[in-house]
Amino acid sequence: MSKVPYPSQISLDWPKKDFSRVPYEVFTDPHIYALENERIFRADVWNYLAHEVELPNAGDFVTNWIGSTQVVVTRDKDQSITAFENSCAHRGAQLVTQVRGHMVKVACPYHLWTYSLKGDLIGVPMANGVNGKGGMPQGFDKAQHGLSTLQVQCHGGLIFGSFSKNPPDLLEFLGPHSLSQIDRLLVQRKPKVLGYLRQRIPGNWKLYNENVRDPYHGSLLHQFQVSFGLQQPTMKGGIKLDGDLKNTWNHSILSDADKDHQKWVEKAYEGTGKYNPNMKMADPALTQVPLDLADGYKTTILSIFPTLIIAQVDNTYAIRHLRPKGPNLVELHITYLGFESDTPKQTQDKLLAANLIGPSGYISLEDGEALRLVQEGIQSREPGTHEVLEMGGVGAIQDTDYLSQEISIRGFWSHYHKIMGF
Amino acid sequence: MNALELDYASRHFFHVYAQYLDQEQFNEWIGLFDPHQCTYEVLSKENKDLGLPLPIMGCFTLGMIQDRVAMLAKGVLTYRRSALLRQVSNVQASFGQDGHVLAKANLVVYQSNEEGVSSLYMVARYEATLERVESRLLIRKMQVIVESFGIDTMLAVPL
Repeated sequence: MSKVPYPSQISLDWPKKDFSRVPYEVFTDPHIYALENERIFRADVWNYLAHEVELPNAGDFVTNWIGSTQVVVTRDKDQSITAFENSCAHRGAQLVTQVRGHMVKVACPYHLWTYSLKGDLIGVPMANGVNGKGGMPQGFDKAQHGLSTLQVQCHGGLIFGSFSKNPPDLLEFLGPHSLSQIDRLLVQRKPKVLGYLRQRIPGNWKLYNENVRDPYHGSLLHQFQVSFGLQQPTMKGGIKLDGDLKNTWNHSILSDADKDHQKWVEKAYEGTGKYNPNMKMADPALTQVPLDLADGYKTTILSIFPTLIIAQVDNTYAIRHLRPKGPNLVELHITYLGFESDTPKQTQDKLLAANLIGPSGYISLEDGEALRLVQEGIQSREPGTHEVLEMGGVGAIQDTDYLSQEISIRGFWSHYHKIMGF
Repeated sequence: MNALELDYASRHFFHVYAQYLDQEQFNEWIGLFDPHQCTYEVLSKENKDLGLPLPIMGCFTLGMIQDRVAMLAKGVLTYRRSALLRQVSNVQASFGQDGHVLAKANLVVYQSNEEGVSSLYMVARYEATLERVESRLLIRKMQVIVESFGIDTMLAVPL
């Protein structure tokens, strides 16, 4: 693994032990971005690769990105799942150019070296030469020239990969809250893919990690939610953090009591132009889609370090995956889910509810804009300046039973700081 | 309406359609839809090719189409304000078996920011089912199939 030199003249200042200050350089510095590839994405973490329903048959494959590295995920005849770097062991050419599909073996277009679906080298054209001349040397051992494979483990239908030779235990890495939410959202009903959405946001990938750990902004940025009763700042809810603070489960519950808080909301929003209680929708069907699950959660966002988010927003269910494209750009890739048990009406409702999320989502499109604005705003900040994360309290990083907080963002940074070795 | 008249009418339809959106004449744009029955969907080529039903933007009634632009006009949404210019080309139209007009066209959209910097925003194609009502063509079904489905930041304004 190549080591990325970190310029000695750049020093990062983390002035608060509770991570209530974060240096802006982590969002803009290309050296830090390169170091993340080495110390996070190719190190001791589990990276999201795909959901098992995307690979139902032997020979199916999908591609994904882990940091800057493209990987191919395959299902073999024995039903095992393999992941390998999308780069030939011979001269490094990209092997697979389709996003997903079906194949019986992997063939490099350049010199037709072929590999099994497990990444083993099985064919080298002209290995014995032509007309008794040339060919590979006698000692060439195909077993030594397989593709660069990852460790793979699955839980709840989610396929994870790690470049580490000794990755952490997956269940411990996920943590108890993550496990229970994966069960709730992805296991108790068998998912099916209704489609994909992609959003290329001109912001650093960690800004999105902040965004999904930040329920504080939910009822402030997203006026649609507040105006049409999907979200209120008075809602019950809170956050639960995993033991090492890197993963967060944000949740909110809308109840009849929130209707009694309208006067409080009106006063809080007075003069901001961000609250429009008299506005009516011409067709409010979107806001009337019933929740599938009886537990009453209106929004649950499970954010798993480093790049996976499993989100229920109203009655939408989606796997969001971050694919960093440099310090200033991230692709947000969304796998939008229905369930095998859904009735046609429930499926149609989910297609309607999709108007809340994704690049055109009445809620989510604003997150793309928020990230763009932050990235624009911090490009030329003086080194040594910091963002401020004090909402909800400073000091201990712990669970809360309230939503207006940035504590879970500090949990992300505490783990990031540790794993990056800053 | 003969083939020549159909060709002219469909080209004119798309030019007016693009002009209304470019100039944010949203009420006039809504007036291009059949008020009795209409849908408007923006679909990614990726989903379309896979046979997956998820739209990027899905409006299944006239009211939903009205809501889409009302959220922009009334300032509900926080979104990137850009001047958008749509360029429609390769318009093709034919009559369907039920007498409707089936129209297709290509679309590119350029965006220009507040500092006067322009870039390519979107590459897409239209597939429309239009109804002849007196001398006008009205939209029964409009699908915008986006080739550049890795959407730059967001898609707030209809295509």
